[in-house]
Amino acid sequence: MTKRKKTTWLRIRGSLTPRQHLTLGVLSFILPVGLWTIVSYVPFVWHPMMRVSDAGDASWFSAGELVDRDAFAEENARIGTLKGHPAQGTPANPVFLPPPHAVAKALFTGFTTPPARPEEPWLHQALWHSIQIIFWGFFVSSMIGVPLGIVCGAIPSIARLTEPFIEFFRYLPAPAFGALAVAVLGINDAPKVAIIFVGTFFQQVLVISNTARRLEPALLEAAQTLGASRKHLLTRVVVPGIIVDVYTDMRVLLGWAWTYLIVAELIGVSSGITFFINQQAKYRAYDKVFASIVLIGLIGLATDVLLARIGRRLFPWLPTAKRRGRRILPVETNRSGPGGSVGPDEDSLPLPQPVLAADNAVST
Amino acid sequence: MSASPSSSSIISPSSSNFLEIAAPPLYRRQAPEVAERFRKLQERPVILEVRALSKTFEGRSGPVLALDRITFRAHRREFLCIIGPSGCGKSTMARMIAGLDRPSSGEMLLDGHPVDGPGPDRGMVFQGYTLFPWLTVRRNIMFGPQVSRGLSDSEAAIEADEWIEIVGLSRFADSYPHQLSGGMKQRVAIARALANRPRILVMDEPFGALDAQTRAQMQAYLLQIWKQVDITVVFITHDLDEAIYLADRVLILDAHPGRVRELMEVPVPRPRTRDQFTSTEFTAARQHLDELIHPPAAVTVDPEATRVRRMTVVGDDVE
Repeated sequence: MTKRKKTTWLRIRGSLTPRQHLTLGVLSFILPVGLWTIVSYVPFVWHPMMRVSDAGDASWFSAGELVDRDAFAEENARIGTLKGHPAQGTPANPVFLPPPHAVAKALFTGFTTPPARPEEPWLHQALWHSIQIIFWGFFVSSMIGVPLGIVCGAIPSIARLTEPFIEFFRYLPAPAFGALAVAVLGINDAPKVAIIFVGTFFQQVLVISNTARRLEPALLEAAQTLGASRKHLLTRVVVPGIIVDVYTDMRVLLGWAWTYLIVAELIGVSSGITFFINQQAKYRAYDKVFASIVLIGLIGLATDVLLARIGRRLFPWLPTAKRRGRRILPVETNRSGPGGSVGPDEDSLPLPQPVLAADNAVST
Repeated sequence: MSASPSSSSIISPSSSNFLEIAAPPLYRRQAPEVAERFRKLQERPVILEVRALSKTFEGRSGPVLALDRITFRAHRREFLCIIGPSGCGKSTMARMIAGLDRPSSGEMLLDGHPVDGPGPDRGMVFQGYTLFPWLTVRRNIMFGPQVSRGLSDSEAAIEADEWIEIVGLSRFADSYPHQLSGGMKQRVAIARALANRPRILVMDEPFGALDAQTRAQMQAYLLQIWKQVDITVVFITHDLDEAIYLADRVLILDAHPGRVRELMEVPVPRPRTRDQFTSTEFTAARQHLDELIHPPAAVTVDPEATRVRRMTVVGDDVE
């Protein structure tokens, strides 16, 4: 019977087979792109406009123009009553929804097409500028936020001294500080970095301190009975004990930093990928707008995959360490982390555990 | 009863007199070599002295007395087990000795000096696996010597390797804890605690999470280690057989509040083997502990009080 090896797709909290993993991961991209493709290329799906190929006797049409479908029909009906030459055209989508092939083409030609005006940046220059803004904003935030978060998580008095204010401050929208940042830091890159910082830092402290608080208390107690001082507890237990989770947090936070990028780049002199996108929108080159947005996504995804790969090398004690990744999106959501596993150990872990040997017999 | 020296007393002179005059309960009867061991034990210096130690927790409806004036002494190289029903505060006792919990009143002397807070002189092995997952077996064991004695990497590694050898895990020195089985993890935990050269080793139900066979192996292991190392063991358990098998003396606690019920000298001679489980001394000690910890009334189920409605077909009976 075929029933014996039935694959379950909707199992609750089960683990996926490698095949399911890959298939579903690829599907998650194919589905939206497929939808976009259908809307773009199947004439009877949506297509609210008509692209005029021959204006005929229509007084206000010109060839190549996009016209509302209702207006097009109305005009042709009017021409019909006058026994004139009707306008010709094909169903089309609005200019802001370019078809996939146009975006794909823009993606490839984007880097080779010189800017419309010589003082404008090339696409790669704009992107590189954006990446630098992100990097510095996130770097400065992390240099302060990570140590502060860890200390807050470890020492309740410091947490109480800082966290209520941070909790208040994180509700203030970062863009609200735009004008202030420009007044203090000038109109160039400094205020943009500052906005990324404001957007990231306060969340970062709270996220990291919460991660630090999740450290298994028994590990701290064990270290204390081994004679660890306060300094040792912090540097040799808390930090290594949470570093994996902090690393995951940082990957999530880096994503948040990107969301502040567009706002940050509008402040002062508009720059980077935001400026590029806005310019292309002005030229009504929406294929390039889409290409730029896709590029941001690709850079974000690539960074995350890269960081996940690096993470597997950085933390050799993880059960997943150095395993060849089969994941399309390797965001580990396993927040139980490595912190002291209490209770039945091997069996509860979803991944096959290499138990090296049974207890070898005792009697000596 | 003062039997004159007749022919009957010649046949079994000491035992019959002993029975008739002193009449100690069975579990108190010690073979001469066992009695001698306890005499020597009492002569050893006192390592741990617990004086009227009490612990009160803030409960929802006012303070709850968890431990009430616990007093006992442990001598050097003694193996002391603490047992009691659940809720008797034996884990709290272990944590207080280790310095992780602070007593509400009373004091505790280690080598005659009062102790406060955790320190490397009192090693601890927990029930849950508390190995540092980010360190290899060797580095886990190096942790204590490094933080408490400030040893360099190479010095600590040499010491750690000796301990790894003792617990028989040389092949796994560079493995991470997640690669080890439960029993192996606890062996590393014991080595890690002992590498610090503590005066006493507090073990809080260390083998509770292990399966029966591994637990038996670990008990034998522990006795081997204890024999070879200058260490006093305070071992918390709720397993009566485990307590008798391991201990010189067993401290029995009552529950609600935790109070010392008795300090029993285990009459089973050393070296201990699992064959002794059926010996007269062992069963006598076992029976005594059973009576203290599980009074007969508490164990029997009153059929009237726990009436369960029949939910099976008549005739489909299992007993």
